[in-house]
Amino acid sequence: MTDYRPDELMVVEAARHINDGDVVLVGTGLPMLAGLLAQRTHAPNMCYVVETGPVAPRVLPTPISVSDPRVMHGAVSHGSLLSSLGGVLQRGLADVSFLGGAQIDRYANLNSTVIGDPERPKVRLPGSGGANDLASHSPRILIITRHERRRFPERCDYITSPGYLDGPDARKLSGLSVPYPEISVITDLCVMEIDRATGTLGVARLAPGVAFGEVQEKTGFELIRPADIPSINPPSGDIVELLRREVDPGGIYLKG
Amino acid sequence: MGKSATNKLMSAAEAVERFVPDGAVLGMGGQSIGRCPMALSFEIARQGKTDLTVVGCNLAMSMDVLVGSGLVTRTECGTGNLERYGTAFRWRAAAEAGELAVADYSHLGMASRFLAASLGLPFMPIKSLLGSDILTTKRADGPDPDYVLMGNPFSIESEPVALLPALSPDVSIVHVQKADAAGNFAIEGFSTHEPEMVKASKAVIVSCEEIVDPEYFRENPGETTVPFLFVDAVVHQPFGGYPTSVYRRYEHDREHVVEYQRVARAGGDEYADYLRRAIEEPGDFDGFLAWALTDDKKAVLRDEMERLI
Repeated sequence: MTDYRPDELMVVEAARHINDGDVVLVGTGLPMLAGLLAQRTHAPNMCYVVETGPVAPRVLPTPISVSDPRVMHGAVSHGSLLSSLGGVLQRGLADVSFLGGAQIDRYANLNSTVIGDPERPKVRLPGSGGANDLASHSPRILIITRHERRRFPERCDYITSPGYLDGPDARKLSGLSVPYPEISVITDLCVMEIDRATGTLGVARLAPGVAFGEVQEKTGFELIRPADIPSINPPSGDIVELLRREVDPGGIYLKG
Repeated sequence: MGKSATNKLMSAAEAVERFVPDGAVLGMGGQSIGRCPMALSFEIARQGKTDLTVVGCNLAMSMDVLVGSGLVTRTECGTGNLERYGTAFRWRAAAEAGELAVADYSHLGMASRFLAASLGLPFMPIKSLLGSDILTTKRADGPDPDYVLMGNPFSIESEPVALLPALSPDVSIVHVQKADAAGNFAIEGFSTHEPEMVKASKAVIVSCEEIVDPEYFRENPGETTVPFLFVDAVVHQPFGGYPTSVYRRYEHDREHVVEYQRVARAGGDEYADYLRRAIEEPGDFDGFLAWALTDDKKAVLRDEMERLI
């Protein structure tokens, strides 16, 4: 039995969602680690595009900002916000984007803008940045977050980045170029995926030792429950070692 | 009419006095903890230019000090954020207190608005924002309407796009690696939203790490990010992006950023004390650098960058 921490399981599971050759739009934090892990294992030809512009960098560990020189290291071009968010994403060249948010609702909409009334916010959050652009234009969307009930309300206070909005065809009706993206939410308890028939989240996999009831209890909306839910495969010792030694050697994001 | 190729070298004090009026829509360069125009922003704060609307993409510390100095009534941006170091805390506090109007866009939304103005167009279509609350939430004191939905007029399919209004700042401030006296400049590393924003602006102040010879860009035209036509003032200010990083020159200063975030979060006397010591008392940016940064620390930040490129 390999010893691993919840954040490490999330990173390993997220890495499994990246295919060799994918063009991956990524920020920093756990998503960046997932990309670096995928690149060092099964997806050597994965191409990073960083929101700020760099294409195919050989990222040095461990960047803490999309403006970090570590995300420019070895890139074939440095680019700009317009070249990455417009020329790659809106142009339709991205395969996968990583996103996060303070709130994630039943339709996998994300809020990173305000808690409470937008006119007079209770908590003013940083805002979209490139997140709305990533959510609008990516065929596959990966979200990594800790599983806490307050993060999963029935309805986001504000939709910063579109999931399935309010129904299975809502993205298409609103005119988004990617009407039916695959969306996976990877938490320390489970993997949730969008059910195309309803446009809402259901549990696809459970972390080892976690029961559906615990996930439902920590979620503010009713989750779709398939009859049989497989487990997330735990990582091998080699993979955990690789994560700790090469992907985040300073323990910047994987502190335990 | 474009700007001519005259000698535009001047001090930050003169540039801000001449080109930043009260009430300006101020275009802010840089991103998060990278290449923010700190020297120019501190000078605007020092001169107390008031009633500003600050516009940009990832606004961070160079915007936050202006908000914290009580000089900003409105921002239009993608985000107010220093990522791992936290939200721009004075900006957040002012928004939560109802003292600051925040108009939200995505980064591509802002870049598209600058792009429109840089091409002399009144608006730009975008396929982001559709279906989200960013598009439909009324922006305080914004243009009315502040977006229009329309179908692609060249298609029989219903292909909605959102039209966003062009944005032309009264004056933009950017900090770059190289410029010449006429205002030709080169950004090394990614260029954020600055090429479009600068070309969209009525006036532009550039500060730089290094002044290059007048023949430099004629010999290396592939390096030019923006030619002199758009630029009004050039300020030579080494470490003018400090404490943020400047690619190929120096890494950001973690300790200073962490300390700034601590006092910005605390607000009150602690924050006022920072503004007094960092901006008012030093008199100019070299004075601030002398207070904040030893020669040894400068060497460390240069070495750290050297190892990353």
